[in-house]
Amino acid sequence: MIKFRKFAMYLFLIIVSFFSVFPLYWMVCAATNKSAEVISGRLIPGTYFVENMKALLASQNVGRAMTNSFRYAIILTILSLIISSLAGYGFEIYHDKAKDFVMNIILLAMMVPFVATMIPLFQMFSKAGWLNSTIGFILPTISTPFLIMMFRQSARSFPHDIMEAARIDGLSEIRIFFQMFIPTMRSTYAAAMTITFMNAWNSYLWPKVIMTDSNSQTMPMVVANLTQGYVTDYGVLMLAVLFCTLPTAIVFFCLQNAFAEGITGAVK
Amino acid sequence: MKRKILAALLASTMVLSLAGCGSGSSDSSTAAPAEDGAAAAEEEAAPAEDTGDAAAEETAASGDQTLTVWCWDPAFNMNAMYEAEKVYQQDHPDFALNVVETPWEDVQTKVTTAAASGDLSTLPDILLMQDNAFQKNVISYPDAFLDLTSSGVDFSQFAAGKTAYSVVDGKNYGVPFDNGAVIGCYRTDVLEQAGLTVDDFTDITWDQYIENGKKVLDATGKPLISMQAGECDLIMMMLQSAGSSLFNEDGTANIVNNDTLKVVMETYKALKDSGVLVEVNSWDEYVGSFVSGDVAGTINGCWIMASIQTAEDQAGNWAITNMPSLVGVDGATNYSNNGGSSWAVTANCQNTELAYDFLASTFAGSAELYDNILSSGALATWAPAGDSDAYGVGNDFFGGDAVSAKIVDFSTKVPSNITGVYYYEARDAVATAITNYINGSDIATELQTAEDTVNFNMGQ
Amino acid sequence: MSKPSKKMTLNKKHNITGWLFLAPGALLILFMSFVPMGRALVLSFKTGVGAAMKSCGLMNYTRMFQDTVFVQSIKNTFFYLIIQVPIMLIFALILASILNNRQLRFKGLFRTMIFLPCATSLVAYAVIFRSLFANNGIVNWVLVNLGILDQPYSFLTNVWSARIVIIIALLWRWTGYNMVFYLAGLQNIEYSVYEAAKIDGASAIQSFFKITVPLLKPTILLTAIMSTNGTLQLFDESVNLTDGGPANASITMSHYIYNVSFKYVPNFGYAAAMSFLILILVAILAFLQMKVGDKRD
Repeated sequence: MIKFRKFAMYLFLIIVSFFSVFPLYWMVCAATNKSAEVISGRLIPGTYFVENMKALLASQNVGRAMTNSFRYAIILTILSLIISSLAGYGFEIYHDKAKDFVMNIILLAMMVPFVATMIPLFQMFSKAGWLNSTIGFILPTISTPFLIMMFRQSARSFPHDIMEAARIDGLSEIRIFFQMFIPTMRSTYAAAMTITFMNAWNSYLWPKVIMTDSNSQTMPMVVANLTQGYVTDYGVLMLAVLFCTLPTAIVFFCLQNAFAEGITGAVK
Repeated sequence: MKRKILAALLASTMVLSLAGCGSGSSDSSTAAPAEDGAAAAEEEAAPAEDTGDAAAEETAASGDQTLTVWCWDPAFNMNAMYEAEKVYQQDHPDFALNVVETPWEDVQTKVTTAAASGDLSTLPDILLMQDNAFQKNVISYPDAFLDLTSSGVDFSQFAAGKTAYSVVDGKNYGVPFDNGAVIGCYRTDVLEQAGLTVDDFTDITWDQYIENGKKVLDATGKPLISMQAGECDLIMMMLQSAGSSLFNEDGTANIVNNDTLKVVMETYKALKDSGVLVEVNSWDEYVGSFVSGDVAGTINGCWIMASIQTAEDQAGNWAITNMPSLVGVDGATNYSNNGGSSWAVTANCQNTELAYDFLASTFAGSAELYDNILSSGALATWAPAGDSDAYGVGNDFFGGDAVSAKIVDFSTKVPSNITGVYYYEARDAVATAITNYINGSDIATELQTAEDTVNFNMGQ
Repeated sequence: MSKPSKKMTLNKKHNITGWLFLAPGALLILFMSFVPMGRALVLSFKTGVGAAMKSCGLMNYTRMFQDTVFVQSIKNTFFYLIIQVPIMLIFALILASILNNRQLRFKGLFRTMIFLPCATSLVAYAVIFRSLFANNGIVNWVLVNLGILDQPYSFLTNVWSARIVIIIALLWRWTGYNMVFYLAGLQNIEYSVYEAAKIDGASAIQSFFKITVPLLKPTILLTAIMSTNGTLQLFDESVNLTDGGPANASITMSHYIYNVSFKYVPNFGYAAAMSFLILILVAILAFLQMKVGDKRD
């Protein structure tokens, strides 16, 4: 019985994983095949990788785009985690009626489609002189209701007795946050980091509107450029897409142990 | 939240389906060198980019000889700009272009955002605009674009049907660039199996087309044509081939009482019901259907040749001719247009004289330029270019036929029609109507709904 | 006793500390979201083509309910919401609890594989899904070869199958994403609780409902609100997979708002009004969810 259940569990996971991995496999195949073969549905890796690579590098500045994407995604992720977790912590640990109310209001901020607020935001940024600048790129997404709420929800399981003990030991509130909360909430931070990095890496519409300079092109923009020609070379496109996908996948792979393995014996 | 941010990827999303609305064509025998040329040109332009575009834009105001341009295809319109730069530099050695690769969807988003927020400073000096979007953009944001009527560009040297797209209130807002003349493309080897040649498809009507198509279907099991379901490219091409439009001169919708449209829809349904036309789900699948040889041909703007020529194994087995004409419609012809684009000068251009002179002496004045870019598939709509010898050279992919000269000839015969400010609204409404009509709904009801939808959109 | 007053000041101090903690984040949201939202709200009472806008009162708000395409998009969006969100969240929860099992081998590998779909760039995702469900795609190939279908079925051009493909695509793309939050949330539950339950003879299913679900409640609330919000603002799938078709049968609200803003003759007043309808709808649903789920025990 137990053996059967174990078997069923693995079978289930293998099936789910198969469906999840299939697109990646598809991309790898596509990136190594000629365009015509890709659209006729060839599902075996080919020998056209080098040619696709050459064509990609000849038409797009991938190195610059990679550097830009990494720079923006890393800066954004770090700032975003600090500011949003401070806020989430503040909302939960010191919660009262007023703060709960403010939290609910803040949630409203994510409920309007960005298309509606983009133009007023653009006006503000143009007046502030932030067009074509890194600050213009990252500022709107540093603090998000989503991350704040995520930290607020997980701060709920932050044990109060530890805090009381720390306060009695004379630790200041900010030091409790940095020395106790952050290490305890490692899994939340790791999960938040994965998600924020992914969102920052993939962000497109706002960067595209605010950055008009070729020097600030990011990976998603490179991918978009490749789809816009009169002839789409699907082999080259999928190679670029592969480059665009791998960083997020790698970040996930590296961080997953931090958020999914638990913190045995630490603070708790 | 998650999707909100990912929604930001939107432009990269629509492009696949919209790639078809663009225009351009390519000559595969020379496409590869052309691409190298584009790459080389991009490298050449790199120093200019390194100075920083923001800086470049501002210095342009102070008499600097640099223009910023937005366009989107490295092998095609970007290449054309780099070639134009070279041509212009012969007389103006200080001149430089800063070409920023910007997909059309993004050009539209950025223009709308900048114009709606009243800060045009992010716009380039010159941008490439889809012909179908000209009326809409100029009417919505008249302050964002410059009137080129008296800019020194001789518009009379362009095909009238082509300039009509970018004329608003009698003023010219665009310098025409590429050709979107409709061509019928056929696999001669497949037709042969049904005992047909491409001549059986030249100067024919849609009735004859269906008849021939059935022969091909019987002999080979292959449909003649595939079309993307829910997109009404073919509908619009048929409509224009008889000079008909979805709008009247006064801007009101012309759908319910448009008898030509009714014939078009019936023809489309007949095509589909006979099995001669097969509907596919997406643009990729559409391209795939002829690249992998599942269908025996296609009908589209001449820029589709570039996609056809990616099927290298079919070289020599393709032929090009005009499209079928509608039956029982006044003014029916075998010629139409789909896609195409023109250069617009934005109000952010500080050195307008330079921009005007550049356009007038390149895209509207240099046969040399058009000869140079012909290899990348950019077919001129500028009449003097068509007389060039380069246009008479045969293309082996299409059985040695001089396709360039042929297409230029087609383009002069295209009836002009009214794009309309509400072009995209009407197009979507008609696409809905045709989908429902094919699925068995009544044609009159559907046309009424379509007209109501368009009127609703206009009544704001 | 002077203690209560001292406690009061301490509370007050903590109260202020709390505000200081949340100030940077809250202020950023105020300026980056609420200020533009305010302007959009003003805009929603105006109408006009392009830059020429004039006041029109509530016209935009009444107009949207006469807009057949928009009404259709509301129905479509709610269909996705009702079917997809519960399935996705339950599925993600099940996967997370399986992958939280200490005895499981290759956990890291499984997790990464299941997360991969949402790391996949949108362009690839769209191309792949369209090719899978193409007339000559793998799905049709399998179904025809198994004898389930006589001839290829055009999934993306039939009303219900197009909607179902969108739901499948959403499930595929976002289940792993939600799983991440559950996995992270599960780490805050002592594993010994499960072991104790096991010793007490609780089955896996019992401990799932008795331990996992109640303890993950804050996270479940988070994901429920986020998914509701995400689905009501659904855009990518509608644009990329079906382009809203056939005949607007799968178009979403955000897709239509985008069309009104950028594809059609731009009318930002109307687009803003429709956006605020989304706000109202999400806010109501989120409020209900908070009522049920956001209690501190």
